[in-house]
Amino acid sequence: MKQQFEIPVGAQHISLLEPLHFKLTTENETIVDADANLYYVHRGIENACTTKFKYRQVPLVVGRVCGLCSVSHGTAASQVIEKLTKVEIPLRAKYLRMLVIELDRIHSHLLCLAHVAENSGFEALFMQTMRDREYAMELLESVCGNRVQYDYSIVGGVNRDLKPEVAKDIKTKLALLLPKVKDLHEVFENNWTLSLKNKGIGAISKEMVMKLNAVGPLARAAGLAVDVRNETEDLLPWKELGFEMITDIAGDVYARNMVRIRELYVSFRIIDNILNGLPEGPIIEISKALPEGEALIRVEAPRGELMHYARGNKSNILERLKIKAPTFSNVGAMVEIFKGNQYASAAAIIASYDPCLSCTAR
Amino acid sequence: MNKIETSLDKVRSDIGSFYKFDKHHFIVMNANDLGEKIEIQWFFHDYEDARNVTMFWLQCNDTDLIPSINNSVASAWVAESEIADLLGLDIENAIEGFVLDHDSPIAPLRKKKK
Repeated sequence: MKQQFEIPVGAQHISLLEPLHFKLTTENETIVDADANLYYVHRGIENACTTKFKYRQVPLVVGRVCGLCSVSHGTAASQVIEKLTKVEIPLRAKYLRMLVIELDRIHSHLLCLAHVAENSGFEALFMQTMRDREYAMELLESVCGNRVQYDYSIVGGVNRDLKPEVAKDIKTKLALLLPKVKDLHEVFENNWTLSLKNKGIGAISKEMVMKLNAVGPLARAAGLAVDVRNETEDLLPWKELGFEMITDIAGDVYARNMVRIRELYVSFRIIDNILNGLPEGPIIEISKALPEGEALIRVEAPRGELMHYARGNKSNILERLKIKAPTFSNVGAMVEIFKGNQYASAAAIIASYDPCLSCTAR
Repeated sequence: MNKIETSLDKVRSDIGSFYKFDKHHFIVMNANDLGEKIEIQWFFHDYEDARNVTMFWLQCNDTDLIPSINNSVASAWVAESEIADLLGLDIENAIEGFVLDHDSPIAPLRKKKK
């Protein structure tokens, strides 16, 4: 047997945004085994939601689970409580929730692409992508009032209506962003040097994705057509607003980049359709019903399937709230993917997972 | 949601005979502290029609050894280790300290003993 080395990556590392630790075992430059520790920031949010906060506050509290997909958490918690209280929200509120979720997906996917570029050694591409992402951040601030913690979805609907001038601003800025995304698409797809860093690197097969129950762009890039937006039209009408399943087959870093970029176009289309067909009417349905029973809701967050499970006993405090974040589902696949790759590729592979430890540890 | 009751003796075989990796997606494992008993839940959905969610569930005592389903569901160890830490349960092969550090509150999701 060749001599093996254990190389720690993280919890604090130049290529990591959040605290996670990978222990990579290498023979020469090849990674032969990997282990992960992703729990450095457990904050007890599930516990807080069932001890300190009333159920109406829960969507705002769970928004703090994650700064990147805050609206997905808020929407999932709102939906699960609406199910327990049997509240049907107005159609306009559904459209507005989808609008913010798609704007959020645009900024999150661009953030991931930026970090893949950075970890592949493309600093200028990182800066270009982050600059372009600012359009989405500015729009989120215009719609929600905040750049990060949106506090947009609340039980019964949303807490802010869309002003006509903001709707116009969204169209204007997305029209400016679209050609920039096309430029990024061209670079990520056809730049020869970048393709050397990303093609065939960090690959996983569709079979392994299924065996390890991975979700989101990581699964879709390997050919597994799973996207919660494809199946929850009763809660949020994604399909009638232009949802399209995006998949690839290679399952490598390059394929994950391509899936995310192509999903940006789908988000653009959905937002355009929302703005063109935004129904008139109220944005919230007020109900005094208390949550009773148990329910499970899934939402497609930028990283994949997000699940909220709640149980109520007709009191103001939920009896149980369980959150399953997409990165949590991808832990098994993340560990597996490293094996057989060169150590030098580890940073790009990690970025292509788009891990969110804040969500995972909660 | 399809709810299928199982037991500590049968859970591994029940889920083992139900779960096909190319047909079902394992969503997560959950546990609820009911006071006297603990309720354990395993959630799956079909790939073909993901609206079909199946939940296996059982009730047990907090001192019972809960079997792992990792033999059938290769990624179940993550959820099992998390539940073991957060509810202080004895789950087969769960990694101790997976979520919580040695100086964290013990089993924070358990209701206080009366």
